[in-house]
Amino acid sequence: MVEVALKLCLVYWFITWLDTYILSWQCLTRPIVVAPIAGLVMGDLQTGIIMGASLESVFMGISAIGGSIPADVTTGTIIATAFTILTNADMETAISLSLPIGTVMASINSMFTPVWAAFAPYLKKLATGGNLKKYEIISHVINIFIPLVPAVVMFFAVAYGVEGLESLIASLPAWVMTGLSAASSMMLAVGFAILTAMIWSKEIGYFFFAGYVLVAYLSMDTLAIAILGAIVAVTLFLQEKRSLDLENKITKLVSEGNVSANSEEEDFF
Amino acid sequence: MEKVVLSAEEKKLLRKVQLRSHLVFMAANMVQMEANGMTHTLAPALEEIYKDDPEGKKEAYARSQQFFNTHAVPFSFIAGLVWAMEKEHKENNSVDGQTIESIKAALMGPTAGMFDSLFFNCLRIIAAGVGIGLCSQGNILGTVLFILIYGVPQSILKFIFVRMGYTYGTSFIEMVFNSGLMASFTKAASILGIIMVGAMTASMVSVPLALTLNIGDTSVVIGDVINSIFPGLLGVCLLFWYVSLIRKGVRPTWLIVITLVIGLVGALIGLF
Repeated sequence: MVEVALKLCLVYWFITWLDTYILSWQCLTRPIVVAPIAGLVMGDLQTGIIMGASLESVFMGISAIGGSIPADVTTGTIIATAFTILTNADMETAISLSLPIGTVMASINSMFTPVWAAFAPYLKKLATGGNLKKYEIISHVINIFIPLVPAVVMFFAVAYGVEGLESLIASLPAWVMTGLSAASSMMLAVGFAILTAMIWSKEIGYFFFAGYVLVAYLSMDTLAIAILGAIVAVTLFLQEKRSLDLENKITKLVSEGNVSANSEEEDFF
Repeated sequence: MEKVVLSAEEKKLLRKVQLRSHLVFMAANMVQMEANGMTHTLAPALEEIYKDDPEGKKEAYARSQQFFNTHAVPFSFIAGLVWAMEKEHKENNSVDGQTIESIKAALMGPTAGMFDSLFFNCLRIIAAGVGIGLCSQGNILGTVLFILIYGVPQSILKFIFVRMGYTYGTSFIEMVFNSGLMASFTKAASILGIIMVGAMTASMVSVPLALTLNIGDTSVVIGDVINSIFPGLLGVCLLFWYVSLIRKGVRPTWLIVITLVIGLVGALIGLF
């Protein structure tokens, strides 16, 4: 267990470092990428891939926008995947646990934010001090340390927590498991609600139901809906562009019309 | 916009800045946010521009250390623009330091809003939708497609944006903002985003009601009755209740707690 935990800890650290600090994609740390890699490390790629799909839909609405992260998506994913593969637990149970785990990890991370912020004046001094090499090296060292904190916490959670979690699950009454699995399918509504609240406006909000009906009544594929959605979006964009062009043209014509009317008037008098 | 021809030396420098513009979140912290990313991205350019002006160089580095925060993709465009302005500042002294700082600050908000909605609310959801479909069948291609749709284009755009920001500089900004199309663009991206959210809500969110009413000999499954009125009605109601809670300022962490409580209490009294 310790060896697997160490491997997962390294996977977490490397992916976070590469994705956040070197590529700045915020893409490789998503469950759909992390879960298959974690699965591969534990020797069960197939479960990892399927977990990735479920966890990605759970964490869909949760991403670092404006610097505040409600749940640490990556650690939540790795621990949930480890829990499923290492203890042969039910996927739904693991998924319903991933959000609370991610939330706890996010609060551990936020405890350390003041520590990293304390480096700000020092970095500023180095950057303006003329020693560029030293500034660059120290920045890179800080980058290495920031994801190390959750990595270490996660190591202990996987190494010593999974077995404890397993025996705990076995001793729970049936309604707890039913409740957790009901909560996990409703948990998806939290992520989608965050997204909806962010995108929703009176002008465009009703388009939500276009997508909803296409799936609920016609069971269409997401890619097909994306294509239809793109057609609607492009059409609306072009229409707005046309009316804007027209508006500009009218303004221009009106101002020109005024000019000619003035000159006629001058001729007349 | 006329085509700008870069010299061999400029091209070499451009490649360096383009690669370094990936270091957006360099030593990121709540005080500076992406300021260290800006310094790292601009360092080769600043070294070149101010190579015989140590005082000017120091001031330029101090400017690059100002608080900065936007989405990682437009970050590259703004870095390219700052590069052009710093060069102008040193060579012709037509742009003063104050202008550079205020243009950076002015671009933070609108670019963050626009690209957050384009990447987080639109492209990521499309990529996840496509990826989840394949991955749920156990196909690793879903992960590969997710990276190809959501990750790789960011790098390609970064390369284009640094170059664009540098070559077209200020004239480009004026053109885009004066054309008035920015609002329409954001709107179109949001429409596509919310259609996808609606589609995925329908296929994924469900309230697994197991309640049955026994009236005489017939038993009525309440969940089926509700779904025959509108498929997944309870799920939609739940979602919009959460949306209204979020609008009222309830933190997502609380929604997670509420959901857990509903699930557990519901199971205890036999709802699920």
